Amino acid sequence: MSKAPIFGFNEHREEIVREVVHRVVSGTKDTLHVLNDAAYHETKRLETARRPEDIKEREEWRALARSLGRMSEGERRRRLTELTERYGWDVAGNFNPRVYSVSKRLLPPLVTALLQPTMFLKKPQELMHLDVLRSHVSVEGPIAKIQKLVEDGTAVFVPTHLSNFDSIVFGYALEAAGLPPATYGAGKNLFTNPVLSFFMHNLGAYRVDRRLRHNLYKDILKTYSCVLLERGYHSLFFPGGTRSRSGGLERRLKLGLVGSAVEAYARTLIHGKERRIYFVPATINYLITLEAETLIADYLSEAGKGRFIIEDDESSRFDRLFQFTRKLFDMRGAVVIRFGDPIDPFGNAVDDDGNSHDQRGRQVDPSTYVRDRNGDVTLDAARDAQYTRELGEAICEAYQKDTVAMSTHVVASVCFQHLRKVSPAPDLFTVLRQRDVLTVPRDELAADVCAFRDKMKEMEQQGRVRVGEYLRTASGGDIVERAIRAFAGYHATRAIESRANGIAICDPNLLFYYQNRLAAHGLAWDTLAPPGMLPAVPVQIRPAASPPRTDPTPSAPASTERSAA
Amino acid sequence: MSSSTNTLAKKHIGVLGGGPWGVALAFAAARAGAEVTMHTRREPPHNDAVGVTTDYAVVAKAPLLVVAVPSTVVREVLRSLGDHLDGHHLLVHGIRGLSPDGLDTVSDLIREETPVRRCGALGGPVQATELVHGRPSAMVVGSRYPEVVAAVNEAFASPSLRVHGTHDIRGLEWASALVGCVAIGVGYAEQAGAGPGLLAALISTAVDECGKILTMAGAEERTMLGLGGYGDLLASIALEHRPEVVIGKALAKGKSIDDAVTDAKLRVEAISLIPRVIGFAKEHRVKAPTFDILGEILHGASPQALIPRLFA
Repeated sequence: MSKAPIFGFNEHREEIVREVVHRVVSGTKDTLHVLNDAAYHETKRLETARRPEDIKEREEWRALARSLGRMSEGERRRRLTELTERYGWDVAGNFNPRVYSVSKRLLPPLVTALLQPTMFLKKPQELMHLDVLRSHVSVEGPIAKIQKLVEDGTAVFVPTHLSNFDSIVFGYALEAAGLPPATYGAGKNLFTNPVLSFFMHNLGAYRVDRRLRHNLYKDILKTYSCVLLERGYHSLFFPGGTRSRSGGLERRLKLGLVGSAVEAYARTLIHGKERRIYFVPATINYLITLEAETLIADYLSEAGKGRFIIEDDESSRFDRLFQFTRKLFDMRGAVVIRFGDPIDPFGNAVDDDGNSHDQRGRQVDPSTYVRDRNGDVTLDAARDAQYTRELGEAICEAYQKDTVAMSTHVVASVCFQHLRKVSPAPDLFTVLRQRDVLTVPRDELAADVCAFRDKMKEMEQQGRVRVGEYLRTASGGDIVERAIRAFAGYHATRAIESRANGIAICDPNLLFYYQNRLAAHGLAWDTLAPPGMLPAVPVQIRPAASPPRTDPTPSAPASTERSAA
Repeated sequence: MSSSTNTLAKKHIGVLGGGPWGVALAFAAARAGAEVTMHTRREPPHNDAVGVTTDYAVVAKAPLLVVAVPSTVVREVLRSLGDHLDGHHLLVHGIRGLSPDGLDTVSDLIREETPVRRCGALGGPVQATELVHGRPSAMVVGSRYPEVVAAVNEAFASPSLRVHGTHDIRGLEWASALVGCVAIGVGYAEQAGAGPGLLAALISTAVDECGKILTMAGAEERTMLGLGGYGDLLASIALEHRPEVVIGKALAKGKSIDDAVTDAKLRVEAISLIPRVIGFAKEHRVKAPTFDILGEILHGASPQALIPRLFA
């Protein structure tokens, strides 16, 4: 494998930041407007600040806002340059090859240690074997193809996002798949953890301060990401923006950073050094999610909808992290990372040699998409925004196809169906109030789970979803048992519980969270469709009560067969 | 148009389909100063500025292509044409209908059958005869890509043709198709003796229904309220030769669908579309009484029974 450009990052860091500053400043037409916008948002953000340094910063912004009107254009441009430089350096990460090579060896055991501290204490030598991790975190998908593509092209990994655990797990997945490291925009709050911060900094992560909402900062981030892609840095974005609060798949993406790819590609063409960009959608699938309880509570509380950064959740509490990792490692195949088929920035499929193909399989030159009628390569933000929008749709489709369903998702979906049937009113919030009122006979639940799984296998044949390994072969009863085991002992409340007369449905909120993973597929109740998008069409699952007939005569309609049986 | 020699070189437009609409679009582009290549197996009326070919590779030399073939053959045409296209082509269609077998828009088919991304759709009240004779009228082009809107404007806009743009291509495609259906109702009501007030009531309720259907189809409701929806439908009142209106009138006279189609002399996409729209509305729980009645009109229900319900 050729050496990924990130190994030379430190030498080029200054050059990259200068390029970013140059592009942002020279691309700004209306300095008054941009500075005003920044000052407005910053003053607003710091309005209730208590810390002296924040108060000082706020006063500086206020002073700037007051004097902007009187400044000469030259003075405003100087201030803009200063600010851009400050933010540019703040964003730029660091890549230390020595840290990488050490952590490459250390990271798997480190992740393991994080995941399973008891084992680390007992048998530290075993941790040096990747197999330990391999049996718990499986990585699948067209890996050989992606390995080949990244030799000459730039990969943009775009996984789903459920947990703060994702970046660690995905970093491991890249390593395990023999793929080069990817630079990654990590929330600045992650840099406050000293251990994590050390690795993040030195593995090429750049810092994204999500508190900054003004356009200048967004422009800097986008430009930074564009410059990196242009230079061939493999990148990782979570295009959902934040962790999925509902547990559902991302169905509408935040395309800001993703959108820089088309521009980056066009610029490599303009410089006469075409470097293709490949998007690699991926799903990160957990049997249980570390932060499920906080996230779903946040999703359900109206007030919580405005909360953008959750500072205090399970991922910042060591006892919870400890329990979570113990649970995960208690059960095989509890985390599955699935890489999807790579696509070009225009949503075309890509073959093993990096060539793009349209839906009819014709080869198409991707550079033609950024050419105008005269055949010249052009930069056109409005055009690229549309390409990116279509790309976003293609990525969301891939998410559905590559979702790896697990026992918890299936059992939650089936239980939630039962809850809906007994709910006095059909609306979500009434259903969610049906706490501990329903117990489903074991056999009935197992049969429903089986029918659900069989339907999913059918859908898998059509490429619409993936069925997890355990789920594929286990009996209905075993699947229910596995879900109970997964839920128990980690989540503070039990989602479902085994009782003498059957399985009791205890915590509708948690079940809602886990069933949401299959909502976009139409397999579970879809209350999550974003505005302007229709809910998924419910998939009809044959009632488990009627086993498929072996009699091959196709004459009688299905409905009469059931009553005859 | 004498001063346009300097831009002539880059204004090359391909038109697919030699029916009245294709010919009208080709002539309008030629009048606006473009070099036009038509792809058709028919013999179109002679025009010095319009070349004719039967070779997809030849018409694909134009960077802007306009497809004006019946919706029944559009998939096959796009598939053959697609072999000669790449990402730099701008592809616009002027088909007032959805896919013949389902409810895909033609731009969905373009996505499936060609490598083109920068596509657009034409709509609005403009009629073929108006284009051919250069009578003032208005057209709508829908595309998410501003450069497609600009290119269509450059190709067709003239003192006698206003070209409006919308980004909601899906909405425009659905609106055009639905307006075609409702125009049958307009012709029917006119023939049955409805006055202006009743026609206005019919059009207003139909537009309301169509708007809801558009929302369910993933488009913007307000597109139905614009020139490509409401405007198009209003124009149908006065366009007594519009094929859908002619069919509506023939049906009100008690003719069978086949005879009505013969009267209209043209294929009308709307006839096969109406039952599919009714099914779609039912599936998505949209109340669409106007479409239910249109369905009955096609089945030969008598005006006396329907007119009161049409305005209920």
